[in-house]
Amino acid sequence: MEKKSMKGYLYLAPALIIILIFTIYPLIRAFMLSFMEDYNLVNGSYKGINLENYIDIFQDRHFIKALTNTGIYVVFVVPCSIALSLIIAVLLNSHIRFQGVFQTIFFLPYVTSTIAIGIVWGWIFNSDYGLLNQLLSWFGIKSIPWLTSKQYALPSLIIFSIWKSMAFDILIFLAGLQTISEDLYNAARVDSTPRWRVFWRITVPGIGPMISYAFVMGMINAFKVYNEVYALFRGKNGPAGSANTVVFYIYDKFYNQSKYGEASAAAVILFLIVLGLTIIQRTLTGKKE
Amino acid sequence: MEIRIENLTKAYGDFKAIDNMNLTIADGDLVGLLGPSGCGKSTTLFMLAGLNKPTAGRIFFGEHEVTDIAPEDRGIGLVFQNYALYPHMTVEDNIMFPLINRKVPKNEARDRAYEMAKMVQLEGLMKRKPKALSGGQQQRVAIARALVKKPEVLLLDEPLSNLDAKLRVETREEIRRIQQEVKITTIFVTHDQEEAMSISDKIAVMEKGVLQQYEVPQKMYLNPGNLFVATFLGTPQINVFDAEVHDGKIYCAGNMLRSGCMVPDGSYKGGIRPESFNVTLLPSAPDAIRAEASHVRMTGRELQIRFNLGANEFRLLVHSDMQIGVGTPFYLTTREKQILLFGQDGKTVGKF
Ligand SMILES: Nc1ncnc2c1ncn2[C@@H]1O[C@H](COP(=O)(O)OP(=O)(O)OP(=O)(O)O)[C@@H](O)[C@H]1O
Ligand SMILES: [Mg+2]
Repeated sequence: MEKKSMKGYLYLAPALIIILIFTIYPLIRAFMLSFMEDYNLVNGSYKGINLENYIDIFQDRHFIKALTNTGIYVVFVVPCSIALSLIIAVLLNSHIRFQGVFQTIFFLPYVTSTIAIGIVWGWIFNSDYGLLNQLLSWFGIKSIPWLTSKQYALPSLIIFSIWKSMAFDILIFLAGLQTISEDLYNAARVDSTPRWRVFWRITVPGIGPMISYAFVMGMINAFKVYNEVYALFRGKNGPAGSANTVVFYIYDKFYNQSKYGEASAAAVILFLIVLGLTIIQRTLTGKKE
Repeated sequence: MEIRIENLTKAYGDFKAIDNMNLTIADGDLVGLLGPSGCGKSTTLFMLAGLNKPTAGRIFFGEHEVTDIAPEDRGIGLVFQNYALYPHMTVEDNIMFPLINRKVPKNEARDRAYEMAKMVQLEGLMKRKPKALSGGQQQRVAIARALVKKPEVLLLDEPLSNLDAKLRVETREEIRRIQQEVKITTIFVTHDQEEAMSISDKIAVMEKGVLQQYEVPQKMYLNPGNLFVATFLGTPQINVFDAEVHDGKIYCAGNMLRSGCMVPDGSYKGGIRPESFNVTLLPSAPDAIRAEASHVRMTGRELQIRFNLGANEFRLLVHSDMQIGVGTPFYLTTREKQILLFGQDGKTVGKF
């Protein structure tokens, strides 16, 4: 027995070492840095070990703004993406014509670089000749300065991200839908089940595990949002920082302002939030099983 | 509710899954729809259920034509081959589901579900999920769910195929009991001929989308309409041999099996069931045929003996107390009215 498990660990060793070096070590390092006041990256000196960095960032209105932005972002992007993806996946699964074509269209964002999509959406959101304003003008809505006003920067980011994260959600929902037996739907027809009840009582529970997976992954990814901001606002965090997010804040603190301690403290806060939500989610779904 | 099927055809492209089927099922009958895999049993059932659209032909339930009526308006209960229980609902919710959909008040729905559960002996399992039930229990849930809305027709698609041998026999008796209790017109799909014969009022045998014969089980077994039906019913299978008829006498490889038959001379296919031989160790009659056992298998109740007449191999069954081993010579005659003759087209010519 003992020997066997030794062998198992040996096989795992390369992967474990890589994880240790590139994931665990930076994590510990960031954790340590977050308690070091005025850390200097060049000579490794610091003023003292204390909570100064944490106090600083929580007194920094940019951090608070980044945190609330990220919160709002998560609350809108994850559920909207899941709900829309579910509807589209169900439609795609219902033996429509050109199914393959539609699947490809919806999956394209997943395999295309975020930067490229960002450029395209930059045009769509353009206030003078953008597609979106064109569309809205048909309904008599005045031109909206999507990417150039403080008010609309975050909503633009959210719309863009919903569309982008739908690709992954649709993909796993479609895979899940194929596992639901056709006979269940036939049985539901014989039992005169209304469409909406078929959806809620058969389809949704049938892909329940996929929905909860999409929820966790979507939430973790949404908390780490950075690429989308970068792509949509050409490397900035929106007009006057109006679309700032926590990761963008961390990046800015670390590379532009060389405030390593504060950047690390923000990273630790983000880590704790994601960890906490994951634990809550796991205990909630764990109880249901 | 009487079911009438008229000229029913289902084509997939050029392929006819069901070819011009005509069938009338009397009110309250249990009919076994029997045939080999792929012969169109499920297709027929799904057309009766309305889940599949016929290419041509008409279906009547009683006086009403239902050909173009949606499944939910046909008043049918359907039990699927894999039961198709809703996996995320409890047994109780599964059985109540058709009632809730029909806007029956919740309390009444629950009462009727429990009443149903009592009949199929599911009390005590109502709060379980289907996953936590045995195959037989799942099957009873499926039947309860199908019956709870008081349908006028019950359709069962190979409901016993997932059960082990013992449970199969138990559950098929149970289905029969429930069917008699509710007196509901029932179609029971199976590819197991013994199952079909033992619980059906009448059997419909199908092959390659064509209805071969529709008859009471005993009559069908004794008077099969053609060679296919004869070979499909009965285990061990009926012996099929090359038969020659001269002057009203039936020969197999030069051995006269029967005389005085009113059939034109010529070549036929003969058929005789394994249990239709009289076997003795000493000649019992002047025209008894001498044969030698090539294989002997003891099955408990009976001995299964194989022997040859010319190039034709036969199996016969005798009581297991008979002392016959491999190579033992014996004498046989055939029981009256037990030799079937089939024409070259496979149709039954007569019984001698
Ligand atoms: N959608 C379809 N397209 C083409 N052919 C089909 C289709 N559905 C069924 N068939 C064919 O129709 C024939 C009858 O099928 P059916 O399912 O009714 O057989 P069955 O008698 O129920 O067989 P089993 O005992 O294996 O369930 C088969 O040969 C099958 O291949
Ligand atoms: Mg079938």
